[in-house]
Parts: sequence; structure tokens; C-alpha cells
Amino acid sequence: MATEKELSDFLKSVEKRAFKRALYHVRNEESALDIVQDSMMRLSEHYGDKPPAELPMLFQRILSNCTLDWFRRQKTHNALFSSMADFEGNADDGGDFDLLEAWNGPEGGEQAQSAQDQAERGQVLRDIELEIQELPPRQREAFLMRYWEEMDVAETAAAMGCSEGSVKTHCFRAIQALSKALKARGIKL
Amino acid sequence: MNDHSYPPSNERNAEHFARSVALRLSEGTQQLPYDISERLRASRMQALARRKKPVAIMHAAGSVHRAGHSAVLGTGPQGMGWWQSLLSAVPVLALLAGLVVIQMDLDETGILEVAEVDAALLADDLPPAAYSDPGFVQFLKTTDSHQAH
Repeated sequence: MATEKELSDFLKSVEKRAFKRALYHVRNEESALDIVQDSMMRLSEHYGDKPPAELPMLFQRILSNCTLDWFRRQKTHNALFSSMADFEGNADDGGDFDLLEAWNGPEGGEQAQSAQDQAERGQVLRDIELEIQELPPRQREAFLMRYWEEMDVAETAAAMGCSEGSVKTHCFRAIQALSKALKARGIKL
Repeated sequence: MNDHSYPPSNERNAEHFARSVALRLSEGTQQLPYDISERLRASRMQALARRKKPVAIMHAAGSVHRAGHSAVLGTGPQGMGWWQSLLSAVPVLALLAGLVVIQMDLDETGILEVAEVDAALLADDLPPAAYSDPGFVQFLKTTDSHQAH
């Protein structure tokens, strides 16, 4: 049975990744924050007494369900398939999501090289995130759970409610698509 | 469905590529803006405040079970519920025992009354067979009517 501290530590360890995952899906910071908050609430209210080992799986499932609920509520299935041009336009408008701002650190002097390096890394990160957003939802979900959340195939399948074979297929296709897209952008990892 | 089976070297490359992407994404989460981090923290606190507390719920359920016998006899929650049911059966058992004792007492009282009548009949000068004699019954009735007049 998870203690309050264990639950707190768990939420702390997943909240940022959860926010990012939700953001990749809904492409809106406010909505992503709402989804993460809703997920945390549901986990805490309904499963706060579960053993700590069960929390990651439960949370991933709740997060996926909350994201789906958001789409159902908003009736914005188009958001899943909106073009990259629309997304970039929104970012230019002002910007809910511009990680480059975070990389515009101190300038000049001996730090110029590292600042440039940081800026390049920031650009690479942004490109990766854009390409991840471009993945079909199931592929993105499978890829992020499997490699970012470090869940195994069986856990990912259980969280997504599909077969292990489907998870492998989704992951394979996601890797193929990402690899191709990043190569086209001249990014080598 | 075999399109996800890589040749061994490709599989390693794919795994390595995926891990590299995940590593970059993790680096990105460390650079979240302050306001986002704070809102996530606030959400976490709010969620923790609503945490399901198993112990408190068990106590609450226990009090409900103690509130009345009919509720107590129902199937309770796991763990303590078994003991609660067992303890709640004590008053019912006491009631049943009381009824048995009362019944035994009534039976004994009836036996004693019959025994007294028998003893009176046997101790009397009149033989018991006289009560089954129709002439003697008639004699008693006429005697009673004379006394009434």
C-alpha cells in the first residue's frame, strides 16, 4: 500500500513527462496541464491505496484515458490530424510552446560556444518533438510508453489495451517514421 | 504482422535510436518553464490532498457496522469485517439462549403443577377412580346445587 510520500514521489517523477506526453497529443499547454491534473486526481482518489509497484501502469492508463476524454469533450479529432503548418503558425503567434526560449541563455565571452551548442541541442529537441507530434496517435503512444516510460512490451500492451504484436508494430513504424523524418532534417542521434 | 521483426543488427540500431530519442526528450523535460513546473507541483499537492486513505475508510465502515444489528449481519468488508460479523452475532446468540431458558422454565412449571394435582389426588381419601364414576359425578353436581340454594 503506497504511503503518501511514495505517492508524492511517484507523481513527482512522472509529472513532467506526463505533461509533455499530453502536450504532444493535444498541442496546447493549458489542456495538457488540465489532463495531467485530472490524471493525478483520479490516480490519487481511486488508487491512492494501491501498492507503489502498480502505480506506473495505472497512471499511464489513466493518462491515456484522460487524453481520450479530452478529445471526446472537445470534439477536436481534427487536432490529431492537423497539419504541421497550422502548428507552426500557432507557435509563431505567440507562442505557447517554444523551448528555444529556454535555450537562449547567457551570451558572449567564453560561453559563446556552449550557448551555441545549447541552442543547437534545443533546436534538435524541438525538431524531435515536432516529429513525434506528427506520428499517428497509437504509434506515438506506443513509442513513448515503450522507450520514454521504459515499460516493457507486455505492460505497454496492457496500458494501451491492445496485443503485444500491435505494440511491436506501432513501435517499429514509429521508429521508422522518426528515423526517416529526422534524417531528412539532417539530424543524427 | 511480421513487419515489426527486424534483422538482429537493425533491431539493435532501432533500439539504440529509440533510446537516443527518449534521452533527448528527457533532457527537454528538465527545461520546463517555471510556471509550468509550479502548476504541476500545485496539481500534485491537490491530488495528494484527495488521496484515498484506506485506514480511514475501514474505520468509517466499522462504525456503520456497529450502528445496528441488521447492518452488522450483512456481509462486511474484508479483514476486520469477519470479526465484526462474529462479534455482532453475540447478541443474537444471547437472545436465542434466553428463549431456550424461558421455554425450559415454562416446561418445568407445567410439570410441577401437574405433579401437585397428582399428589393431591393420591393424598386425598377419595380414590382417583371415583372421578371416572358417573354416579359420583352426578352426586357432586347435586351437592353443589343444594349448597347454592
